[in-house]
Amino acid sequence: MSSSGWAKAWPALPALVLLFAFFLYPLLRMLSFSVETGNLDWYAKALGEGLYLQVFWNTFQIALIVTGVCLLLGYPLGFLIATTTPGWATLGFIFVLLPLWTSVLVRTYAWMVLLGRNGVFNRLLLDAGIVSDPLPLLHNFTGVLIGMVHVLLPYMVLPVYGAVRRVDPAIVAAAAGLGASNVRIFWRIYLPLTLNGIFAGSVIVFVLSLGFFITPALLGGGRVMMIAVLIEQEVRQTLNWPFAAALSAVLLAFTFAVYALAQRFTRVEAQP
Amino acid sequence: MNIRNLRRREAISLLGGAAAIGVSGNAFAQAELPKPAQIVVNHSGGSMGTAMRKAFFAGFEKKYGIRVVETSPADFGKLRAMVDSGNVEWDVTEIGGQDAIRATKMGLVEKIDDKIVDRSKYPENVRTPFVFASSVYTTIIGYRTDVFKGGTQPKSWADWWDVKKFPGARSMRNHPVDNLEFALIADGVPMDKLYSVDFDRAFKKLDQIKPHVNVWWTTGQQPAQLLLDKEVVLATGWNGRFYDIIKKGAPVEIEWNQGALKQGSFVIPKGAKNVYWANKMLAEMSVPQQQAIYATELGYPGLNLESLNFVDAKVKPYLPTQYIDKQFWIDDSWWAENGNKALELWNAWMLKKA
Repeated sequence: MSSSGWAKAWPALPALVLLFAFFLYPLLRMLSFSVETGNLDWYAKALGEGLYLQVFWNTFQIALIVTGVCLLLGYPLGFLIATTTPGWATLGFIFVLLPLWTSVLVRTYAWMVLLGRNGVFNRLLLDAGIVSDPLPLLHNFTGVLIGMVHVLLPYMVLPVYGAVRRVDPAIVAAAAGLGASNVRIFWRIYLPLTLNGIFAGSVIVFVLSLGFFITPALLGGGRVMMIAVLIEQEVRQTLNWPFAAALSAVLLAFTFAVYALAQRFTRVEAQP
Repeated sequence: MNIRNLRRREAISLLGGAAAIGVSGNAFAQAELPKPAQIVVNHSGGSMGTAMRKAFFAGFEKKYGIRVVETSPADFGKLRAMVDSGNVEWDVTEIGGQDAIRATKMGLVEKIDDKIVDRSKYPENVRTPFVFASSVYTTIIGYRTDVFKGGTQPKSWADWWDVKKFPGARSMRNHPVDNLEFALIADGVPMDKLYSVDFDRAFKKLDQIKPHVNVWWTTGQQPAQLLLDKEVVLATGWNGRFYDIIKKGAPVEIEWNQGALKQGSFVIPKGAKNVYWANKMLAEMSVPQQQAIYATELGYPGLNLESLNFVDAKVKPYLPTQYIDKQFWIDDSWWAENGNKALELWNAWMLKKA
């Protein structure tokens, strides 16, 4: 970095020091547990035993599906909020942000009330005669999906909103003036120009999904196992911290890999 | 036995008096310890905290003028981290039975001072040097009384496994503790021959029930809630959680037969800031009258056997100590040795497609 670069960087110093002292150092310290024994036995276990590989794979699949659903729901919503009148936008923000400020545990329990066999949804459907047996919405993968998407949706909506707002209205006006249809405007202008928002939202949602454990445990009825559940067990129940650290390291490496891959992919795609 | 009790009480009032007038001398040396402004007791939280405040903390604060700060939940990992780092925030903490044994072995806990904490009325087997047995609880069957009317509920683990005779959605804990034992009993192993657990046999038996368990519960409150919402009609759970909703009028009852008994445990973390006052707290928690208040609130009787004399007759049918002969004790030392292995096998079994 040039000297002028350093001059520009110094205001960030306090933040960097904090980041190092309270995030990076503890993280490295934690990871060092995993090689305490002087060998890679714990990594061999994490990557060699069927149980852990299977749970890593499950976690990856769930995170991917959650990200997909969040994108499908979040993109139109973010787009709508960004392009509607200020009044509606405010209302939209309230609906998106209020859940964000509510405890995940409270929301998870709320879903249990809503989705159960005798829950609000099933009552409504049964009373209306739409179904004859209660739908299995809870204590399975569906329940986990609903709960996780609800928690993570704002993290998709907000970046998309930001990206759509940054699109220069003049470009859209020009395209419309030249006779492009709305569909064409979306595919040729909005989508390419908001890819960064999609990328940011997807990465945040995906990475946060990887670490979920209370929602899958409660809404999945025990059938949906994610790696964070196993890490938590190793930390708090079996006290096998070296192994917990090895599992965490694998998860971290995997997360970085996904991040790097996604970044490369969008960079290429973003070229006009 | 009254005489002994009296003696102990005299001793307490003597100590208290000594502290008040500042008498010096070896016999009362302990009473001279300066009082901290507060001590920290860590426990499971929830309704347990409310009951502990009513039964133990309120009296302690009044008696000694030391504030009792409560934190939760009980967390073995945190206990180890505190002791390892030398920054011990808790003076007393609740701990799981098998964890207490491991914590003792790992040197994470202080020895209980038997001069302060009188456990003479406790059953011999629970008077261990490092662990204070606070109460008894049991994992048993809770059932909907509108589904199983007039005593038609499953009355054994063999019945629980018999889904033809006792149809309906079930819930069990997402953990090997209790469940391995239940499976073995259902498979015909006598309750006094469960250990050491035959993993193969237990999991083979569990295979049979797996498709009929709708919910594998994680938190202690779930089974009661699942029965309330009629999400399931049969659930294994801790007796106090069922007692709580039964008290409030839920159509739920308890089948006590073949329940898995466990003791609630408290320890003083190694290097706690106020070891003396932590012992005083445990002393407060061993007073029979106070244990009776706790038992009435939660359905978890204390292990001071005299405490049952102070419990209302209406509450007694909901205390697991009334049914000890029909139940079995979880072997904490077996679990302390084999718990990690069992958990790994359990996770792999849960992951297996049914």
